[in-house]
Amino acid sequence: LDAPGATKALNCAACHGPSGQSPSDAMPILAGLWPEYFKKAIQDYAAGRRPSPEMEPYAKQVLELGVDDVAAYFASQQRASTKVKVDAAAVERGRAAAQQCAVCHGSEGKGDRAKLIPDITGQPPGYLRTQMLLFKEDRRSPGDERLKALKALMKTIPDETFADLAAYFSSVR
Amino acid sequence: AGAARGDMAPKTGRRVVVIGGGWGGATAAKYVRLADPSIEVILLEPNRTFVSCPFSNLVLSGVRTIDSLTFDYRGLRRHGVSVRHEAATAIEPETRRVRVGEGYLQYDRLIVSPGVEFQWEQVEGLAENQDKVLHAWKAGPQTVQLAAQLGSMPDGGVFVLTIPPAAYRCPPGPYERTCQVAWYLKNNKPKSKLIVLDANQNIISKAGLFRAAWRDYPNIDYRASNKVVKVDPSGREVATDFGDKVKYDVVNLIPPQRAGTIAVQADLVGADKRWCEVNHLTYESVKHRDIHVIGDSTIGLPVPKSGNIANAMGKICAVAVVHLLDGKQPPALPPGNTCYSWVNDREAIAVVNAYKIDGGKVVQIEQKLTPGQSVAVAQNAVGWATSIWNDILG
Ligand SMILES: Cc1cc2nc3c(=O)[nH]c(=O)nc-3n(C[C@H](O)[C@H](O)[C@H](O)COP(=O)(O)OP(=O)(O)OC[C@H]3O[C@@H](n4cnc5c(N)ncnc54)[C@H](O)[C@@H]3O)c2cc1C
Ligand code: HEC
Ligand code: HEC
Repeated sequence: LDAPGATKALNCAACHGPSGQSPSDAMPILAGLWPEYFKKAIQDYAAGRRPSPEMEPYAKQVLELGVDDVAAYFASQQRASTKVKVDAAAVERGRAAAQQCAVCHGSEGKGDRAKLIPDITGQPPGYLRTQMLLFKEDRRSPGDERLKALKALMKTIPDETFADLAAYFSSVR
Repeated sequence: AGAARGDMAPKTGRRVVVIGGGWGGATAAKYVRLADPSIEVILLEPNRTFVSCPFSNLVLSGVRTIDSLTFDYRGLRRHGVSVRHEAATAIEPETRRVRVGEGYLQYDRLIVSPGVEFQWEQVEGLAENQDKVLHAWKAGPQTVQLAAQLGSMPDGGVFVLTIPPAAYRCPPGPYERTCQVAWYLKNNKPKSKLIVLDANQNIISKAGLFRAAWRDYPNIDYRASNKVVKVDPSGREVATDFGDKVKYDVVNLIPPQRAGTIAVQADLVGADKRWCEVNHLTYESVKHRDIHVIGDSTIGLPVPKSGNIANAMGKICAVAVVHLLDGKQPPALPPGNTCYSWVNDREAIAVVNAYKIDGGKVVQIEQKLTPGQSVAVAQNAVGWATSIWNDILG
């Protein structure tokens, strides 16, 4: 709790777990998120660009408390991969389907910090799957020009494959 | 069993005593240790297990088991909290002592989180029939008993649920319970009916979302402004303040509430004799120094009596207490709240509140509702519960 920003992040643990190490399938792990990406996410939630009834109020609270402190705090926490179990066969199917993601997320899904493309490895599979569906339906950051190619790609992928992709990326260490 | 007399654990260093190992108290005990492991923390909680009220309405419908909501205190012990399964019997602010029967514990700062107590005397016939007329408003044996009463009710029977006037624990809780009982009846006892007698003028939380959910339940007969003042278990009947009488096969009477008894006895409550007013930054009682009150027992902040709020208060209060013991100014930290409610076996709705500190007071920034009921919200509800149980006890 001595880490700067730690006390400003106390409320987040109710959903994202202690130190941002979410133990559940639905909630994303915040530990280790790059501060630039974190800040963009908070700003998008607060402005309603990335619609989320849970995150819009909390994002506004983060802006009140100082987003840089909170972002620095979560960035300083080492991400421990999710403990949510996945099916081995789904992981293998996902590995094959994941080639189409490499152009942006890199060959292992570790992302590209400079381009604000997040590291999706080790995140809970339920969260990853939900986000893919939201992209496909243009419900995450609707109309965002920057995400056009990503969303066009998601539209070509059947929903069942999202579960496989999620299983694979969540299992990458 | 041979209750200790006198000083039960002579104090050597700095010590915080916490009364109540529920949502507020267990969180506070853990976080004092996280913030400064050199501080000794003693937690007094008579119950050996922690049973979560959140999700306990799902036990009534059979969607969840009580075991899936029951946890132990080993996690707190691992953090070095000394958990004693005893009840505090009195507080002595002058000498900074908590009485435990014949013995006492000395403290430097005391955190009080005893939850709510029922005002039995407000409903005629209730006090002497506590074993038959169930509240199931503290998750545990009564939750299981009420589920059994519902299960053995004949098809065609009438289930009466009564809601007390605000303020009470968990504003949306009775309406979530309405959904769960109605869902169960619809699927298992289609000729049965659920009559809801609400002392309030309308649904007091997420009204639009609950009304929409109830469209699936024609078996609900909701009656606002119907305050129950009498119960007669032998005639299986309740009576309202207007003298209307309603027959039941099973009754679930949620009584009016006030702060936990220890808080009332210790003179921590205000002129209303019901709730405790506190400093919005430190949760120190406005009535007694070095005593902090958190959770459902408090009043005066624009927050609901929820487990999420009790958890947030526990953390903020712990940080404040550690600062104060160090002679430092505590940081100004606001709480946050999310209340998920299950409207059937797979869908949920939610209300989210964020707060800030303005002029030394907690002020709401925004309240947001989910646009409708959905499976996705229910998945987030499970995520929330998993995280927050871990935050309290893990
Ligand atoms: C059916 C139902 C559903 C709910 N659903 C939700 C929900 O979905 N989300 C949500 O956020 N909230 C929910 N709540 C509300 C939530 O349970 C309470 O707000 C929360 O428990 C309050 O925490 P607390 O610490 O004030 O009290 P409690 O959690 O009740 O803890 C108080 C503890 O103090 C102990 N105690 C009392 N007196 C003494 C004494 N003299 N000495 C020692 N120990 C003592 C008690 O044994 C108890 O364990 C729900 C409540 C109910 C009834
Ligand atoms: C009541 C639950 C809840 C609370 C409390 C909460 N969050 Fe979230 N958070 C969510 C949900 C649900 C999502 C996923 C939303 C979506 O679909 O975009 C999320 C997503 C996020 C993301 C995006 C992660 C990513 O990988 O893109 C960030 C950043 C975030 N939250 C930060 C915070 C911070 C900081 C706090 C505390 C101030 C907080 N959250 C409190 C529920 C919550
Ligand atoms: C054209 C570039 C591009 C491609 C191809 C791409 N992504 Fe992404 N992805 C992004 C960007 C950019 C973001 C960040 C979105 C934002 O800022 O909100 C992102 C975010 C995500 C997220 C959300 C992570 C989080 O923490 O919230 C998931 C999940 C994801 N991508 C999965 C995939 C998968 C699976 C594939 C392949 C099937 C894929 N992406 C292909 C650019 C891409």
